[in-house]
Amino acid sequence: MKFLTLFKRTVGIIVLMMVAVLFAGCSSGKAASKKVVHISYWHVNAQTQGGASVDALVKKFNKTHKYIKVTAKYNPNMYQGLMQNLQSAQASGKVPDVVQVGWAYMNYFADNFKYLTPTDAQSKFDGSKTFISKNFTTRTLSFAKDSKGKLVGLPYSLSTPVLYYNKTMLDKYGIKASSLSTWEGVSAAAKKIKEASGNYGLYIQEPADTWAQQALQLSNGAKVKKNGKAAFASAAGVKAYQFYQDMVIKDKTALHTPWAQGVDDFVNGKVAIAYTTVAQASHIKQSANFDVEAITSPHFKGHKATVPVGGSMLAITAQSTEKQKAAWTFEKYLYKNSSLVTWSKGTGYLPPTQSALSSQTFKNYLSKNPMLKPAASQIKTAVAWTSFAKNGLQAEQTMIDARDKILSGSNVQATLKNAQEKINEQQK
Amino acid sequence: MNKFRESGWHFLLIVICLTLLLPVLFMISNSFKTLQDSYHSMLQLIPTHPTFSNYLTLDKQINLFRIVWNTFFMATIVTLGKIITGLLAAYAFKYFSFKGKKFFYFAFISTIFVPFTVVMIPNFLVISKLNLLNTALGVALPQLCDATGIMLFLKAMDKIPNSLIESVRIDDIPSYKILKDIVVPILRPNIISIGAIFFINSWNEYVWPTLILKDKNSFTLPLALQNYISSEGGTNFPLAMALSTIMIIVPLLIYLIFQRYILNSISSSGLK
Amino acid sequence: MNNRNKKNKTLTIAYLFPTALILLVFIIAPIIYTFYLSFFNWNLIAPTKDFVGLENYFSIFTDPVNRKILLNTVFYILLLLFLNFLVPYFISIIVKFFISKMQTAYKIIFFIPSLFSLVVGAMLFSWIMNPVSGPVAFFMRGLGLTLPNWTNSGAMAVVVICLITNWKVFGYNFVLLLTGLGSVPQNIIDATKMDSIPKWRMIWDIVLPLNKSIAFYVLILTIVQGLQYVFTPISVITQGGPYYGSSNALYHTYLNAFVLYKTGNASALAIVTFVIFLVLLYLEIKFVEGRTNRYE
Repeated sequence: MKFLTLFKRTVGIIVLMMVAVLFAGCSSGKAASKKVVHISYWHVNAQTQGGASVDALVKKFNKTHKYIKVTAKYNPNMYQGLMQNLQSAQASGKVPDVVQVGWAYMNYFADNFKYLTPTDAQSKFDGSKTFISKNFTTRTLSFAKDSKGKLVGLPYSLSTPVLYYNKTMLDKYGIKASSLSTWEGVSAAAKKIKEASGNYGLYIQEPADTWAQQALQLSNGAKVKKNGKAAFASAAGVKAYQFYQDMVIKDKTALHTPWAQGVDDFVNGKVAIAYTTVAQASHIKQSANFDVEAITSPHFKGHKATVPVGGSMLAITAQSTEKQKAAWTFEKYLYKNSSLVTWSKGTGYLPPTQSALSSQTFKNYLSKNPMLKPAASQIKTAVAWTSFAKNGLQAEQTMIDARDKILSGSNVQATLKNAQEKINEQQK
Repeated sequence: MNKFRESGWHFLLIVICLTLLLPVLFMISNSFKTLQDSYHSMLQLIPTHPTFSNYLTLDKQINLFRIVWNTFFMATIVTLGKIITGLLAAYAFKYFSFKGKKFFYFAFISTIFVPFTVVMIPNFLVISKLNLLNTALGVALPQLCDATGIMLFLKAMDKIPNSLIESVRIDDIPSYKILKDIVVPILRPNIISIGAIFFINSWNEYVWPTLILKDKNSFTLPLALQNYISSEGGTNFPLAMALSTIMIIVPLLIYLIFQRYILNSISSSGLK
Repeated sequence: MNNRNKKNKTLTIAYLFPTALILLVFIIAPIIYTFYLSFFNWNLIAPTKDFVGLENYFSIFTDPVNRKILLNTVFYILLLLFLNFLVPYFISIIVKFFISKMQTAYKIIFFIPSLFSLVVGAMLFSWIMNPVSGPVAFFMRGLGLTLPNWTNSGAMAVVVICLITNWKVFGYNFVLLLTGLGSVPQNIIDATKMDSIPKWRMIWDIVLPLNKSIAFYVLILTIVQGLQYVFTPISVITQGGPYYGSSNALYHTYLNAFVLYKTGNASALAIVTFVIFLVLLYLEIKFVEGRTNRYE
């Protein structure tokens, strides 16, 4: 009998739902309350990477701003995941108001989504119109400019790759950290370690982008892009990749494996040196049971170390003036020194503004976390992450493909040249 | 000689059991390890410094109760939906005669063979147009019926003697009464076992919910797990394992309670 | 009588309506839409779609990456058949005919991994099987062996990924097949015992043919479900790498659709996958459903 009632009820519910499907087709959006403006903020910060800081910042903002209510939404799978969600949101007509956009997606974002540039926001809502110029250096702003030179968003999180090393292991084999300032030195150290212990000497991160590999090429005087065209197959570019391939294939002193495994292997003491983002610093520090330190990116002999900047910018995707204004107010709150330092501590990223970088609280934080220091010093010379104007995501995929091919033994020159031609073909 | 050979087989089977169970033990053991120990004393199944702190951290960082409830709620809707639509459709195929029966049956069954990649994009658009993003119903709606269910129920109905149904039909008893008073009681073990499988699958579902559920308050357990697998910030393995351990409790309980039904009637009457 | 027929008609419609509606809205219509999209170049949000005719289909068979993907898909199918079908089948025969004790215990234990989410399985195995510093590598080093660096080789990565799904579905398929074997009439088995026919002969000549339809069902299930199951470990562990070596048709569709936003290519590949599945379906109908011929 009980089952019967349950059955009847559920049938009722199902029928109701069917009706709902038929008739709810075009329900209108919620009527916005006149007083409080609700905006949503999309971020990529998992609990292991600053999710709690985002929540704390938003909570504080909502407390201090009576008429704006921000809801933070976490998007799994980093900037790629966020971009997918944004794509779907756009297709369904319900876009968020403030989003984090990874550098590699900047041109794609600018071409395909409606957004309010920070410059416009400033002139629309601010009296003084100096917020941007007062807080950001020209170099930092250049990271967030699209191929036409337009400022798309404001730089929010910055990161650079640094060289982590297992000090305990290097000490054991008498290798000095100062010898790791050049890639040649790194290679020699790796060889020594391989011979003495059988462990790998080096791991360079291999995520679904070629950020670290671009740093390698840039630090040999090569360019990734020249006059809007791919140019990484130059002699200097080939040489850098050849060097990397030799370490992986010929000498077997460098490890070739996906990112998560590579970092795990470093933490487990099976790889002596890891070249990866500064955002990994707190994870590495917490997990390693040996002395670990970090230094700035190495360069090839006779060249300067140059790294592309990683991280993201904040862009305003709100459509109504009311929401745009709220979004801009929220952004300005996020760029306060105190907010930025909270954010940096949670995420391991570096703050984007000069005043936050030089604030006392951030300096105190740096001295407690020395592994972040090299990353901070590199910001001053970092360059924008290469982003191609057309088919940028496919261009990045082409570079990833080239990296994977080279690391499994393909001819470096030919592979890079093919990849370069393929990308330039798509730029037309 | 036979005894000897039989113990050889037992040895093989026990090795298989151990291989299958070792990852489970590994998961539980790591959920009680510190981050350092998870890396540096990998081979110890019993943690050197056992700690409960991973569970406490989880409780602090995410709203566990809410997440478990969301998962439970969603899985329940999906399971009930699949059972009810499945029973109704199977009954129609079994006891009604109508034009195009073969075509409909073929059409229904062929939906099992539709890879999810084919329907993912359009379905997302429909759910968001219906304003159902971030709701359990949004996840559940496209899954309220399942051709596998129809097939399994249909085959289970074979065990009901045709004469029984025919005799009551002649008495002009309405078919919904036949369904609830005769068919459902007879199929009870099948309904329980098929329902249990549906429930467990839905509990673990991952790809589709990631598209629909964005709000932390609507997360299910597999989505919450994402929080601890971050490529940039590093994966916190012990925390992820603690959450995985929490995640397995409900399916395991269901399995232990209905084990006999699940193992005996997944197919015994269902798939011959 | 006429009245009853009419009533039956309405009832039929009422009973089939919920299922039909959901399948129509969430499966049939989307397939048609995807089919439509496969003739265009589109990035999912741009206001215009470029009509390109059959170009997306041509590229599936001419582009070397796509060809590699299709080949991988075949490799996945073969491996899944071996691991998730033949092995459980073999073991279920052992449990049914070659041992006399503990059958239920094995059944209960084998089924446990199928309660787990594949995300958990993928995380666990990528940790356990880490070729440089994982427990298995460590253990093997103790025996003087080295675990090959499977993350660098497409073929080996495919094997590991299949092993992960094998961990999950082994028990489930085992139970299905075992129950199928249980339906072989006992008197036939007893009869062969009396005639002292060797066990393997008896199984080969009598049991396997009798169990053909359920075996075929599991076989199809292994392919169709297996190819979708491997999706999660691929996305958690290798993202299809190294150089598409561990990707398959489904993962590549996802990559095209949601990473590169080449909706047209993705749709075409999805349709091709669907057609392959339909062929399998046809075989299923022919071998399993057709046998009983129940809906004439």
